[in-house]
Amino acid sequence: MVRLEYIKKQYTRTRRVHGNWYLASYQYKFNVKRINQCLEHLRKGELVGLKCRSCNTVSFPPRLICPKCLKMPDEWVHLRDTATVATFSGTYAQEAGDTEPRPYPVVAIRQDGSDTTWLANLPEGYDFFKVYVGMPLKVKWAEDKKGDFSDIEYYEPIEDPSIEMNKKEEAEK
Amino acid sequence: MGVQPAIVSAGFSEHASKRSDVNMAELMNEAIEDALNKCNCTIDDIDCVINGNMPAFEGANIPELWMTDHIGAKNKPFMRVTTGGTTGGSVAIAAYYAVASGLYDTVLATSFEQQSCGSTTVGLSSVALGEVSIYLQLGYDFEKLRRNMGAGAAIGIGAYQAINYMRRSHCTEEDLARVVVQNRHNAAKNWWTHLKMPNITIEQILETPYISYPLRFGMVTPASDGSCAMIYTTEENAKKFTDTPVYVNGVASVSNENAIVAPEASGCGQIDPCEQLSATISAKLAYEQAGISFPEKEIDYVEVYSPFPNQEFMWLERLGLFEENTAPMQYREGVTALDGDLPVNCSGGVNSTNAIGASAMERVAEAALQIMGKAGNQSPKEIHTAIGHGWGGTINLITLSVLADQPRRKYKGGI
Ligand SMILES: [Zn+2]
Repeated sequence: MVRLEYIKKQYTRTRRVHGNWYLASYQYKFNVKRINQCLEHLRKGELVGLKCRSCNTVSFPPRLICPKCLKMPDEWVHLRDTATVATFSGTYAQEAGDTEPRPYPVVAIRQDGSDTTWLANLPEGYDFFKVYVGMPLKVKWAEDKKGDFSDIEYYEPIEDPSIEMNKKEEAEK
Repeated sequence: MGVQPAIVSAGFSEHASKRSDVNMAELMNEAIEDALNKCNCTIDDIDCVINGNMPAFEGANIPELWMTDHIGAKNKPFMRVTTGGTTGGSVAIAAYYAVASGLYDTVLATSFEQQSCGSTTVGLSSVALGEVSIYLQLGYDFEKLRRNMGAGAAIGIGAYQAINYMRRSHCTEEDLARVVVQNRHNAAKNWWTHLKMPNITIEQILETPYISYPLRFGMVTPASDGSCAMIYTTEENAKKFTDTPVYVNGVASVSNENAIVAPEASGCGQIDPCEQLSATISAKLAYEQAGISFPEKEIDYVEVYSPFPNQEFMWLERLGLFEENTAPMQYREGVTALDGDLPVNCSGGVNSTNAIGASAMERVAEAALQIMGKAGNQSPKEIHTAIGHGWGGTINLITLSVLADQPRRKYKGGI
């Protein structure tokens, strides 16, 4: 590995004492009122978002409070099963079977019809270098649904006509 | 209008990856001593002390119990502020408010971080654990989540911003490396910084492996031990303490969170991570207080909080200093260099030194020292107005301080 050299100063050592924190038993609370309704729909193979009547912001997964105007959203809207990549990055990791670290795509996805993003998954082993912002995706449902987020097995990349159109535009320039 | 606050001094400790010779309290003390040495003010003149850091990183909660004596806070009003990455910026703003309100005359603002004590990973996990455990409850596969979270910590947010910024501006990895080279060269000329790399080149940086695409190992911020202290006082006192007071003419702290992680976390539903509305809003608020109408012309020096090089472009544009998507070009032309028209991060920036709790305050402190003409790596340009910016908190809190060598002329609006 390439090492970058920098000017280092040596400091004398003071005495060190070892200590541990065991961070194992906290009780986090969360309100399942909205999320459970959403998960029930996932079991049926439907996608629903929660819409704020005051500013029309749609959140998916549903949020209890509208982040824009602080009202309680209470209108359910159906969402399409397509989505776009809002942003992405890649973590370099060496999983079982890899000979050297390779990038795994991590994508934040915006479901079409909603105004929020969430971390979802692409197909296992999808090539990181093929991912781009604005990439269209389609939900791949799991075989047997359990009524939780694992019902969306992954997001399948679909054909993107805009690539051809952009190429044409470039060529015309 | 409240009292006009002024900065009379700012001090640092030496920063390194492992300050093995001191403990937290002693580390904090070094910066305070440096700050007191730079002005005619003694610890007896201090009326109130404000302290901040990110406690989980050292594994010592309420660290001020340990260090009260070391920071001269005994028998004095004391306040503690912590807001994650912006802790330092918030401490600076708290000190500003303490003076502006008229309650205290002279306030000592202190912030530190000794990351070598403990585990940064644990510190960051304790921030996100509450939200992440909800995800696991809802059927999210643990292995996938672990991988996603690997890119979800600060570096991940930096990478998201970089991806979207590069898409907008068509800047290249070479442009990113150029920012790093400028910062590390500047750091080499500054006495207190961590990564002093006087001979580094763009090519060397582009040879290092990726950590999180498009950010390479050579581009990212280090984890440092270090501390920073500043002395805020009133306009009248300032002239007693120093010949070169710096006036704080506007501050702003704006949060506009972009929740990428949790299903029901707060967030404004910002889709594009490089949009950074909070930076634009905080700039508007702070410039208005300071009476700045044309930031690109009136501001002479900038310290931005940029652990990752792409952020430097982004902040300079969002804070109104460059036109949108033109920052990479300005770097290519040397506008932001030490002797350029708008020197940026002459201290080396967060990219070269990152003692998290202190980082955002070091931006304000450096901006003040550049106006005083006492900075470690002083720009040859005459500097009248400067800004110190901070980013962090829960992903997207922005702190901004506008400093000048003259008190503000006219003032409208609240403090
Ligand atoms: Zn709303």
